[in-house]
Amino acid sequence: MTTEPRAFLTIDHGAATSSVALIGRAGGAWRLIGTLALPAGADVDPAIDLLVRRVVAADPLLSETLGVGGSNVEALPRFEVRSRPPRRLAVVAGSERTLAGLVHIAGRSGWSVLGASAEGMDPLAMTRLLLDHGIEAILVGAADPPRADERSAIRELATLVAAVAGRRPELPIVLSGAMSEALDAFGDVAARPGEILLAPAAQAMSRGGARGLARAVASRPDADEPAADPLGELLLELALPADDPRRAIGPATQALADVLDRRVETIVLGHDAAVRAAADPAAGGVAATARLAVVPAAAVAPEEPDDAVVDGVLLWSTVPADRHRLRDRMRELRIAPWADAAGEGAALRMAAARAALVRLAGVTADFDRAPAPDLVVAGGGVWSAVPAPTVALAIVDVIRRPGASQYALDHARLLGALGAIPDPRERLAVMTDLADDLLAPLGSVVTPAGLRSGRSAGSVVVHADGAATEMELIPGGLELVDLPPGQTAVAEFRFRDRVRLGARGRHFAVDVAGGLGGLLVDLRDVPLRLPERADRRRDLLAAWQAALWQGQDA
Amino acid sequence: MSVATEAVAADLGLVSRRRLIDGGVEVTFPLAPGDRPLVAAGESVLAGAPIAERVRDAQLTDRVVLASAEPRPGERVPEGELLFDWRGRWRIAGGEVTESLETPVAGIVREVRAGTAIVIRASGRAMHGIVALGGPSAGHLHVAAGGDGELRAGGLDVGLAGTILVVGSRIEAETLTRARAMGVRGIIVGGLASKERRDFLASERRQRAALHRLPPYAVLVLEGAVRRPIASPVLDILSALEGREVAIVSDPPMLLFDAPDVDLPVPRPDLVRIRGGQLGGSEGTWAGVVGPRRFAGGIHLEAGAVRFEDGSVMAVPLGDLERFD
Repeated sequence: MTTEPRAFLTIDHGAATSSVALIGRAGGAWRLIGTLALPAGADVDPAIDLLVRRVVAADPLLSETLGVGGSNVEALPRFEVRSRPPRRLAVVAGSERTLAGLVHIAGRSGWSVLGASAEGMDPLAMTRLLLDHGIEAILVGAADPPRADERSAIRELATLVAAVAGRRPELPIVLSGAMSEALDAFGDVAARPGEILLAPAAQAMSRGGARGLARAVASRPDADEPAADPLGELLLELALPADDPRRAIGPATQALADVLDRRVETIVLGHDAAVRAAADPAAGGVAATARLAVVPAAAVAPEEPDDAVVDGVLLWSTVPADRHRLRDRMRELRIAPWADAAGEGAALRMAAARAALVRLAGVTADFDRAPAPDLVVAGGGVWSAVPAPTVALAIVDVIRRPGASQYALDHARLLGALGAIPDPRERLAVMTDLADDLLAPLGSVVTPAGLRSGRSAGSVVVHADGAATEMELIPGGLELVDLPPGQTAVAEFRFRDRVRLGARGRHFAVDVAGGLGGLLVDLRDVPLRLPERADRRRDLLAAWQAALWQGQDA
Repeated sequence: MSVATEAVAADLGLVSRRRLIDGGVEVTFPLAPGDRPLVAAGESVLAGAPIAERVRDAQLTDRVVLASAEPRPGERVPEGELLFDWRGRWRIAGGEVTESLETPVAGIVREVRAGTAIVIRASGRAMHGIVALGGPSAGHLHVAAGGDGELRAGGLDVGLAGTILVVGSRIEAETLTRARAMGVRGIIVGGLASKERRDFLASERRQRAALHRLPPYAVLVLEGAVRRPIASPVLDILSALEGREVAIVSDPPMLLFDAPDVDLPVPRPDLVRIRGGQLGGSEGTWAGVVGPRRFAGGIHLEAGAVRFEDGSVMAVPLGDLERFD
């Protein structure tokens, strides 16, 4: 008899969704045995009981082998991760330009950000902001060396922040860039309960504000991606504990890339924040590290749906609604994210998800400069209540990159839990076993760019199982090829003109994999252009979605 | 209890829980630089006691403060609150016009931080809301409309001055502002639409900016942003508090009451309420989990069976349900 557990539970306590997965040792490997997702307000123990009852009913022999039946449930080891609401960070700087860079970095590092500069706010209002009882940390920064427009302000700013630091000694404070030189204003920092951390200037900031990051990436000859940003990494560590499932998406994506030996991107749309991570497989024995952005501003249902949020959702809505009504529904979605999920509620979630993707893509534009990844993994509770085949479409509606990618869904919400396994080797071993089970294949999407509108762009022949299916490529639309999960094929494209599909050319042969949505050939504009008129836009979006949403009218 | 009944009772945990009453809550009253706290940590306060002087339209001044006075940020001088020393002159937040901030609840002061907040551990019990606008405020509770009713502006009269009104499922901004003008101290409502919320907040800002202000007034929203009846267990508790002194605070948004002699009604444990969907606002009893079901729009969701008063049983998505404890 062995004491080694033959099964364990992973529990992801999300802001809106609690997800329980039963992992068992079968056939010499860890396998996903079953999973259940419920609203976060429900109790977890009854969910575990229900999951185990279903497993026992489905396969009594397996459940006996794993030892999960009857009274053994309570003895099952549990690996739990829990998301916490984003903490609030006050960001202050001497100038608006510097502030923009800092806010950009902080906003993708897991913080809910409030910003102010000495240029745009008087010392009284700034003190009020920093003393606000909701503020949980302060980032004060300057370029390095300081810019001319902030040089005169940063010393007074440091004195102001030091005074606040004395009154709120528990607050962590980050001094960035040239502001580090004002450390002496903070007195005996060792005696303070809250840390005072020195950090380099934001990369974006030192190269011209938030837009500077994009320019910096474009200007580096070797770079498809920016160098690691030490300030962003520091802020991320400060914002989220290591076992936070959103932060764990980075290591999980890296482990997945290493296991599959493919470039992987993970996009998680959460109730409190969205996450985007990209990883290349380790090469030559050198471990790679995933790029990670945790963006509270891209939450599916922000706490306060302002006009920008509501207009963003309205843009993608397939249901007629005025601004006031839509704002009401967004508030309801925030309060009770699982309620009213059927019918129009599902359409609202799809629109809210796309709007959140737009906000996420806006903050993580540097990710899109890399070539399209081999595999895109979608995650988040918002996808629990919509048909899986529509998930890939929602993502490619917003994140439009020429190329071919496979899409999959983290249907059991395992990535956050597995990424939080502290030992990288153990994480890799578990991921190796579970990679196939944790990803529900959604299909492949091929997106050529540079098509000329108004006539046939060419044709595609899909070779699968010894048969060939040919279809004409009409620019502006979507072509759907039925390719079930588990099936692979070669799609041979012959375009009339040169297009971009990874490289530029007329003829391409692309390996594609099947999934719940099959093969989607996306011949729409890159970037997507939608009609100005709301009714036409709704009809068009609904028509695109209908092809992948069976029973929508039921 | 049979095995089957036990399983049904255990499955009830799959439904989101809504806590009706909490005790020992901490209430935060935010302060701004220049505001003067009038209490210290550890002190007991009674409902209605002033706890701070708030500065209206705080201004920034600066002057030399002698080092012999050992000035520190946050300390007070006659002009106001010291913020920081800049090149030998202290920046000071202050103002000539002040107003008193009174606690609407009794309790013990847990924390006082000038410029930040006063935290009071309130005595008594609390009922949570979604959001509270305005306030803090206190008054005698009066149930003016049923759970699914609505109070119109014409239904108000000066006899309601000093009360906190329970007004049912929804209310318009016009009624909210009319109630404030008539001396009503607060409103408790099921749902408040975004448009009404925006209009009321704009009106409240104008009122707060006026020279002669009305007494504090607060709106507590219990459910959300769409019209929805107040849940029967909630309404039962509010009805039991009829005529009692209650308070509305905004951080966290809740109704507070100190009425140890009131025996609050407890809902039956298997009562469930449908929060959303076509049956939103309906109540029934839990009849067990039924597994994944297909709902409108081709959506598959985990569902539970709900038995209604007429004996009918219906499968409802678990996400649409809530239970009470």
